Amino acid sequence: MPALSSTMTEGKIVEWLKQPGQRVERGDSVLVVESDKADMDVEAFHGGFLAAVLMPAGGTAPVGETIGLIVDSEAEIATAAAQAPAAPAAQAPVATATASSAPASPAPASPVAASPAPSAQVVAAPVVAAPVVVPPAVAPAPAAASSNGGRVVASPRAKKLASQLGVVLEGLRGSGPHGRIQAEDVLAAGGQPISVPRVAEGSGPAVAAVASASNGAAAAAVAPAASAAPLGQAFGRPGETVAFNTLQQAVNRSMVASLTAPCFRVGYTITTDKLDAFYKKVKGKGVTMTALLAKAVGVVLARHPQVNATTTDAGMLYPAAVNVAVAVAMEDGGLITPVLANTDSTDIYSLARNWADLVARARSKQLKPEEYSTGTFTLSNLGMFGVDRFDAILPPGTGAILAVAASRPTVVAAKDGSISVKNQMQVNLTCDHRTIYGAHAAAFLKDLAQLIETAPESLAF
Amino acid sequence: MGSQLDAILFESERLVPFERGWQAQRQLQQRLLLQPEGPDAVLLLQHEPCYTLGRGADPSFLRFDHANPPLPLHRIDRGGEVTHHCPGQLVLYPVLNLQRHGADLHLYLRQLEQVGIDLLAEYGLAAERLAGLTGVWLEGHKLAAIGVGARRWISQHGLALNVDCDLAGFSQVVPCGLADRPVGRLLDWRPQLSAAAVAPRLLAVFADRFGLALRAPEPQEQLQGW
Repeated sequence: MPALSSTMTEGKIVEWLKQPGQRVERGDSVLVVESDKADMDVEAFHGGFLAAVLMPAGGTAPVGETIGLIVDSEAEIATAAAQAPAAPAAQAPVATATASSAPASPAPASPVAASPAPSAQVVAAPVVAAPVVVPPAVAPAPAAASSNGGRVVASPRAKKLASQLGVVLEGLRGSGPHGRIQAEDVLAAGGQPISVPRVAEGSGPAVAAVASASNGAAAAAVAPAASAAPLGQAFGRPGETVAFNTLQQAVNRSMVASLTAPCFRVGYTITTDKLDAFYKKVKGKGVTMTALLAKAVGVVLARHPQVNATTTDAGMLYPAAVNVAVAVAMEDGGLITPVLANTDSTDIYSLARNWADLVARARSKQLKPEEYSTGTFTLSNLGMFGVDRFDAILPPGTGAILAVAASRPTVVAAKDGSISVKNQMQVNLTCDHRTIYGAHAAAFLKDLAQLIETAPESLAF
Repeated sequence: MGSQLDAILFESERLVPFERGWQAQRQLQQRLLLQPEGPDAVLLLQHEPCYTLGRGADPSFLRFDHANPPLPLHRIDRGGEVTHHCPGQLVLYPVLNLQRHGADLHLYLRQLEQVGIDLLAEYGLAAERLAGLTGVWLEGHKLAAIGVGARRWISQHGLALNVDCDLAGFSQVVPCGLADRPVGRLLDWRPQLSAAAVAPRLLAVFADRFGLALRAPEPQEQLQGW
């Protein structure tokens, strides 16, 4: 069952356009899948014969489930069909390609079934047949790692963790692009609470920001869990000098360029109880804290164009759109700032999906230049690490960047002298003083705090 | 930013029989299947009265004998249950390569809803989504029905917004299979509006939401039978 959407968990088979025994050419529509009010024709990746239909029309199957079998030759139909009813469970993991995660090139030579096949290559070439040349990974459905011709595909950190924790990678389901096993998958399999993802800033579901808000001990609890893993990141071994990679060099240039901008910083403390409550309501719908924070910043920026502006030789440039970029650290060094275009006018669900897609493609280095270079304002969030305050360096071409720290329970005294415990986070705005003055920064932060403290539900649309 | 995608606009002044509108969409879909990098297209029209059923639609939502329908009845390749088209209803059929628009069918449905919400906002109306009930809703009434189909991420079908149509035809069916949710039209909230007046705003909002620069077809881009 292919995924027609990053939010699709199951699909209904409306109609089989081919019958068992019928010849199927590559690119033929084999069946029609419906999810919500959208239909999609599903096409075959491989020519052959439809040997068996495992899920008849009218039936519903979870994304990734094998729903039919295509074999290479007429002779194999009977064998495959005979096996089919008993085999679907065993073969299910084979059906990994999804509409959104299928490789653009022809699938690696029939990801062959794990089940005993009478003759080589017989069984599966699953009918998942994603419509061709699909962009990768919109939060791809978990896929079996070992499907890739039996080779285990895992990130270096995942492999290292696996050996440390004694987790067997074979058979583990990977959540990364094309089923790649990520460090988090290994931690999950090892029974470890999932610690902060290495690709950190804003990339994860930002749970920790809220977890630490609802439970002050959470940030501390993460540390011992993570201690089984290598503690700090390094790109070289003691005694070595390691050349900067391309991305690190690009970051270096930006950071040095920032020294020509006269910056100042303004901080604010924001109470997040209402934001945390709203986040709890919408996170089941795929909304992340990063998306919420970006949306809040975008909405307030639209009301404070001076903070969205930047300094150029010609004067103060006011961009036509509000595009909030969010800094994401890369596993192999450097960082990138994927851009949520039109942040102020895009609904939160679309923002969250766009963000998941951007991060997935950032990880696999498939972002287009306009997807990371068109930010008009940058957000840097270290809240998920429990950081209580920091400041950020201004990226060139923009006027301001906001550093967001963790929300933590704090004893708060009100004006009337009453004392209560509220979740509070510190934010710190770095501004280029040629364009943005202290009063602009203060007004922006005051509005941002008011939005987050009083009307976070308005961020939904 | 500011890079808008090229898109061809086909607009009809006359009422269009359903078959012809569908035929036009299939021609445009076929072009994009053969040349996925080609321009997106959109049709804006009003249909002659008819009923259509989605591919998986349940005929029990018809309140007439489907062998003897009071109006032409078409079973078509979109998702969703039965709906009704009639004059005074603006029908928007985007034929887009959705790979340029997120490659996500649910996202696409939400974006179409947003077009309806943005449009109604221009008239001071706060339309909304209802979870699980795709469409554009205003005070409990469904003003726009949405249903789409796709092949290799090339879309067809789309959105039908009731502006100043006669709603009587909806009483012959259970629209979208929802017995307890009434259908509405814009006229009942903004009596001065007509489909002709709303059409250019709908196109503007749609083009904005999908980042399209709409233009008239070149001679070689004309559709047969359009």
